[in-house]
Amino acid sequence: MRQQIRVIGLTVAFLILIDLTVMAILTVAQAQGKAGSLVRYFEYGRSVPGKLKAWQDNPGTRGNLFDVGWPVDQIDDTLLEAEAPVVRVYGMSFVANITRTAKGLREDLPLDLHTGPGAPPNFTYSVFLDDAAQRRAGDVAVLGILSSSVPAMAAMSNRTWVFEQPSPYTYPIFRPLPDGGLTRVDPIINSADEERSLAADPVRAAAWRAQLRREDVFYSPKTFGVAWLDASPFVRLVRRSLGTGHVDARKAAVIAPSGRHAFAYTTVLRRMVTEFAAQARAQDQHPVVFLIQTRDPMDVDLLEALGPTLVGQEIPYLATAEHVDPRDAAAFIPDGHYTPEKDRRFAEIFLALYDMLTAE
Amino acid sequence: MLFTELNFWIFFAVVSVLYVLLPHKAQNRMLLVASYVFYGAWDWRFLSLILLSTVADYFVGFAMARENVQARRKRLLWISLAVNLGMLGIFKYLGFFADSFTDLMGLFGYTPDPITLAIVLPVGISFYTFQTLSYTIDIYRRNLEPTRDFFDFALFVAFFPQLVAGPIERASNLLPNISAPRTLSWEALGRGGVLCLTGLIKKIVIADGVAPSVNAIYASPDPSGLDIIFATWLFAIQIYCDFSGYTDIARGVAKMLGFRLMRNFAQPYFAIDPQEFWRRWHISLSTWLRDYLYISLGGNRGGRTATYRNLMLTMVLGGIWHGAAWNFVLWGIYQGGLLAAHRAVTGAHKRVGEGVRRGRAHWLGRALMIVLFFQVICYGWLLFRAQSFDQIVDFTGTLIAFGADGFWQSVIPAPPRAAILGLIWLLLWDLAIELRGNVRFYLAFPLPVRSAVYAVMIYLLAFGSTTETSAFIYFQF
Repeated sequence: MRQQIRVIGLTVAFLILIDLTVMAILTVAQAQGKAGSLVRYFEYGRSVPGKLKAWQDNPGTRGNLFDVGWPVDQIDDTLLEAEAPVVRVYGMSFVANITRTAKGLREDLPLDLHTGPGAPPNFTYSVFLDDAAQRRAGDVAVLGILSSSVPAMAAMSNRTWVFEQPSPYTYPIFRPLPDGGLTRVDPIINSADEERSLAADPVRAAAWRAQLRREDVFYSPKTFGVAWLDASPFVRLVRRSLGTGHVDARKAAVIAPSGRHAFAYTTVLRRMVTEFAAQARAQDQHPVVFLIQTRDPMDVDLLEALGPTLVGQEIPYLATAEHVDPRDAAAFIPDGHYTPEKDRRFAEIFLALYDMLTAE
Repeated sequence: MLFTELNFWIFFAVVSVLYVLLPHKAQNRMLLVASYVFYGAWDWRFLSLILLSTVADYFVGFAMARENVQARRKRLLWISLAVNLGMLGIFKYLGFFADSFTDLMGLFGYTPDPITLAIVLPVGISFYTFQTLSYTIDIYRRNLEPTRDFFDFALFVAFFPQLVAGPIERASNLLPNISAPRTLSWEALGRGGVLCLTGLIKKIVIADGVAPSVNAIYASPDPSGLDIIFATWLFAIQIYCDFSGYTDIARGVAKMLGFRLMRNFAQPYFAIDPQEFWRRWHISLSTWLRDYLYISLGGNRGGRTATYRNLMLTMVLGGIWHGAAWNFVLWGIYQGGLLAAHRAVTGAHKRVGEGVRRGRAHWLGRALMIVLFFQVICYGWLLFRAQSFDQIVDFTGTLIAFGADGFWQSVIPAPPRAAILGLIWLLLWDLAIELRGNVRFYLAFPLPVRSAVYAVMIYLLAFGSTTETSAFIYFQF
């Protein structure tokens, strides 16, 4: 027994020694500005409050997402004087890549982008609704729906469900009403400035945490708790494992047909695209829905969920899965986005759609 | 409840505390309840199948031991076979045969109503049915006395560490371990802990780490030859680490409770021929097939042709054991063919294992043979992993067209850094076992060195535990 206790004690001592060595190496690397992929690997496991604080304290950090995507910054009055019908995009990087490629193919295409990193449908739809006053008759409104972000329809911010890159921008949650409409629950924080002010306003910070705990399925102490343990690289690795495991489990639970966290995402999505098309048409605009299927085979099949609604209501759409097999590994670059060749193909299809719609 | 999930370890901690507090008989009863809880966590309805198998084989075994008339003993054995193989047939193979029958009729121009059988496969059914069958067959062969204690027998069938994916234990090994009081020791706790640690690294860091690369290519409609080769190499690593990782954890958990489960893997990729491979891979199944199927078919007693036929039949049935799909049948034919061809070329048995052929003069030649034979094994894994017969044909065609246009293009996602580190660790670990001929080679290290090795392994586990975890591959069998 004494020998076993010695082994355990020595093992713990060596673990601490390794951890301190790793900590020292990471500190030196960061001090010298060598934040390579290995340093980032360890950083991914910081608690969400730890990551947000680091971003606030170091605005120039590579990959800092603190100020990106906030709803108040999405409502602008750009391109009001454009001569051609403006393409008003409500989406995420995938949709931005396609429409930017379209602009590359046709330089005079007026493009007004409203995007957030990995934005879920509740973000894109809410920005479309809130941006109504900025659109003009004849514009083409593009609503992007990303298959990998569908589970986040039960979330209020990327900070709760994208553990490794928790951009803090917020969005509402839409839930189905019995009469066929949608109810909207807005977050109490809507801008980067409001987020920054929380440090000096503990009451509001507590209210915000309470709202996340109440409304957001992904909020968890595993990702938000005991931020002081972030000092240890070993703990960060463990938290990364627990955090990503938690998020994966909740994603599966949200899109499951039943269960405590099951979310009626199909119903909500169908009502969103229906309402999106109805509102755009009421403003004499042309609605187009982009269904972006990513390479993860566990994702919701967007065509299966929304195809009948789009076809039935004659809503123009571009479904990536109709043109490129999402199981084809060669269709994607390592970060999961489509290759430039595929984006060009989608852009050409979109331009044909644009020409058809605006010629009517 | 997966071994890689926190809730399993909480469950195990509760079981361990109760275990330490209870006397021997009560330990067994508690372990039986815990095993049923563990299994019921997947689907409590399928507990009824385990109970059916348990009750049938307990009474069959008991009756058979008291029966002296051979014909009656045989009838009793048939009851056991009918119950266990019947369950397997219904829950594992009925849908497959119904679909195949429908397809076959289609070939002859008939279009029978599609037979839809939405039968769920109960997890672990292939493992526990084979385990209980070995009990009744051993009694039939008068190699084993039946146990009188029903609950001990029920624990033999359902013992949670090895219930869902083996090793497929023999009653002669596990039952005495259940019936007799067990001693808990710090040494067993330590060794069990190391087994659990190695198993977790194999599963979480390596198998789950390389899985996305494999999945991407096997889901891809038209991958290049180079990507098929990479993906199949990685799948060979994945399935080894996934399955042997599970076995390590099962053995480690059992060891901590004072049980000794059989070893299921002995560095299989260090084999240089099919016979050696099957003495190193899934040992509990290959010895089961040898003892209860190959020998029952006549083994090598009927001359060359009969031996080849028996080898082929045994391996085809071994392939079908894995699942109701044609690719497993093909895999079985491939393995049977390899064994028969090897037998035809070499003729006699060869003794193999760790510590054998360690002569330095032969090392380079042996290393070359290992690398070459690994490619042979990998083609088998391609058959095993393929999602359809068409994919086997496509992938094989691409590989045959070696060097054709596009063959060398590669888009396979690179495995994570942690998986690469894990692979280096695995190579060193397995090499140490192989060269020293001792699975506990690390006990010979000085205490500080051993502790440093454990600390590095724990850090490696944390480093690689960020990958998405998935269920063990062999759970589906």
